[in-house]
Amino acid sequence: MVNAVITLIMLVFIVFLLVHIILPTPQAMAKVYIGGTHFTQAEINAIIEQYGLNKPLYVQFLNYLINVFHGNFGIDTLYKVPVMYLLGKFIPITLEFVIIAIILQVLLGIFTGSVAGMWRNRVPDWVIKALYLITWAMPVFLLATLLQFAFAYYAKVLPPFNIANPLMIPPKTITGFPLIDAAIEGDWPYFDSLLQHMVLPVLAIAFAGFGITTRIMRASTIDVLDKDYVKLSYMKGLSSWQVFRKTVLRNSLIPIITLTALTFGFAIAGAVVIEEIFIYKGMGFYLYQSTVSLDYVAILSTTLIVGISVIIANFIADILYAVVDPRVRLE
Amino acid sequence: MKAVDLLKKAIGIRKDVDSFSKRVPENVSIWYYVIHDPQALIGLIIIALFIVWSIVEGSLQIIGGYLKDPALGWILLPHNPLAPPNAALSLKPPSLSYLFGTNLEGEDILSRILYAAPKDATAAFLVVGLAILFGGLLGTVAGYFGGWLDEALMRITDAFLAIPGLILAIALSILIGPGYYSVLIALTIVWWPIYARLFRGQTLTIKYRGYVEVSRLFGESSLKIIFKHVFPNAIDPVVAYAALDFGTVILTYSTLAFLGIGVQPPYPEWGAMASNGLSFFPGVWWYTLFPSLTILLVVISFILLGDRLQDIISGRLTY
Repeated sequence: MVNAVITLIMLVFIVFLLVHIILPTPQAMAKVYIGGTHFTQAEINAIIEQYGLNKPLYVQFLNYLINVFHGNFGIDTLYKVPVMYLLGKFIPITLEFVIIAIILQVLLGIFTGSVAGMWRNRVPDWVIKALYLITWAMPVFLLATLLQFAFAYYAKVLPPFNIANPLMIPPKTITGFPLIDAAIEGDWPYFDSLLQHMVLPVLAIAFAGFGITTRIMRASTIDVLDKDYVKLSYMKGLSSWQVFRKTVLRNSLIPIITLTALTFGFAIAGAVVIEEIFIYKGMGFYLYQSTVSLDYVAILSTTLIVGISVIIANFIADILYAVVDPRVRLE
Repeated sequence: MKAVDLLKKAIGIRKDVDSFSKRVPENVSIWYYVIHDPQALIGLIIIALFIVWSIVEGSLQIIGGYLKDPALGWILLPHNPLAPPNAALSLKPPSLSYLFGTNLEGEDILSRILYAAPKDATAAFLVVGLAILFGGLLGTVAGYFGGWLDEALMRITDAFLAIPGLILAIALSILIGPGYYSVLIALTIVWWPIYARLFRGQTLTIKYRGYVEVSRLFGESSLKIIFKHVFPNAIDPVVAYAALDFGTVILTYSTLAFLGIGVQPPYPEWGAMASNGLSFFPGVWWYTLFPSLTILLVVISFILLGDRLQDIISGRLTY
C-alpha cells in the first residue's frame, strides 16, 4: 500500500518533470493551459497568476499533485473543454472492451497453456507455440487489419468500424460504460449493436496478448505436474480431469493473476492502435488524435491516467493474490 | 490422453522427457546449442542476414550522403526507392520486375523495404545497448550499495514501468519533437528501467559470492569491484533477455511509425508504409501486407533465438 502510493507520487513527479523540461518558461506553460492560438498578454498573465506558474518549482509540484488528484488536468486544444471531461467520457469505452478482451485472453491462455503443458513436446504443444509466436511477433495493426478483412469485408458478418450503429440514438449516459448504460435503459437493439461492434477489437487485443499467458500457464503446469501431490492424487484414483482441476489449475492460477495485471498495460497500449483501425472512439483514439494535433496536455494527462490505472491494477492483483493463495492468506 | 500416460509423465523425471537435452554433451559453448537447435538456428540465420544487409545498405547510404550522391544508397536495389511520383507505375501488382508491387507514388515496395532496414536495425541495437548501459549501471550500483539509493531507484523504475511502453514512447517523442532521433531517445527512456531491474536482481545474488567478498577483504574500492566483478557477471542472463527485446523494440518502433511518429516522409519506414497502404486494403493488398510481413519476419526471428537462448542460459531446456 505504501509502495503503491509512493510509486503514484513518483509517477506524477516524472510527468511533472517532463512537462517542465519541455515547457521551461511560465509563458509557454500558460499558453498550453489556455489551449488556443489566439490570446493576449493580459490573458497569459492572468493564467500565470491563477495557476501560480511563476512560483518556485516545489510549490508548483505540490499544486500539480493536488490538481491531479482533483482530476484537474487543463484544457484540450481541439475540443476546447477540460481534458478530464473528455477522458471521463472516453475511458469507460476503452476500459469496457479492454476488460472483456483481457478476460477472454486469460481464459484462452489458460486453455492453450495447460494443453501445451500437458502434451509437452508433442504436436499440440508445437502447434500452440507456433500460433502464439506468430501473434506475439505480429504488429498489432497487421493482426487488426487481417481480422477486419476476414470478418467485416470478406465474410461480412461483423461491422468493420465504429462503436455502434451511427444511425441509432445512444441511450442516456448513466455510468459511462456503453454496454451497462444500454442494459439499464433496456435498449436491447443498441446493446446488440454495441456487442457486434466490440467483437473485432476484443479479438484483436486477446489474440495479440494471449501468448504471454500461454507461456506462463505452460511453465506452471509443467512445474505442478512434477509435484508430489499430483502423483498422490493419481494414486488416490482421481481421473486426469479431476487432477487437472484440483491441483494443476488451482496452483497455476497464482502466477496468472499477477500476469493479468501486467497484461492490462499491454492491452491499453494495444488499444491505441486497435481503436485507430476500428475507429472505435475511446481513450486510445483520443490519444491518437492528440498526437496528430500535438496536444501536449491531452497526451500527458492520458499517459498519467494510464499509469495510475496500471498501478491500481497491480495493487488489486496483490490483494487477489492473497485471496487465491492460501499460503499468503495464513500469514 | 490416457490417464496412464499422464501418470507416467507425472512420475518421470523432467530431464528425461526432453530428447534434446539428452543429445548434447556437457560443458559446451552456447553456440553449440544454438546451432544444433532448429528453432534458434532459423532465428539466427534471418537475424544475420538482416544485420549484414543493414550494415552494407547503411554504410552505402552514409557514404552516399557524404559524397552528396544519394544514388549510391540504392545502387544494390532493383529500383530507386525515393523515385519521384509516377502515375503510370502507381499501385502495380507484384510482377517479375516489381516483386512486391508498387505504392501510390509508383515506387518499388521491395526497394523501399530494403532501403528502410538500416534504420530499424540501428534503432533496435542502439536502444537496447543504451538501455543496458544506463539501466545496467544504475541497477548494479543500487543493488550493490542497497539502502535508500536502492529503494529510490526501485520506486522510480516502478513509476516508469507503470506506463505502457508504447504510450510513454508516444508521449515522449511528441514532446521532444518529430524525427528519427527523438524516437530513439524516447525508446531509450522507456527501455532502461527494465534493465535496471534485471541488473539489480543479478547484483543481489552476486554481491555475496566468494570472489566479491575476497576482493572486498583485499581492500579493493567499491567502484573497482562493481566494474571488475559484478557488472561482467550479471550480464549473461541479460543478454538472453536482450535478444528477445531487440524484436520488441523493432515492433514498438514500427508501431510508432504506423501512428505517424518517427522517420519523416520521403524516407521509407516499414510501419509507415503499412499505414499508408491500409486505406487501399484489401484491393491493393501488397501495399500494406509486405511491409507488415517484413516486420513479422524480423521480430519473430529475434523471438525464436531469444526464447531459446533464455531456455539455455537459465537451464530450463525442458520447458
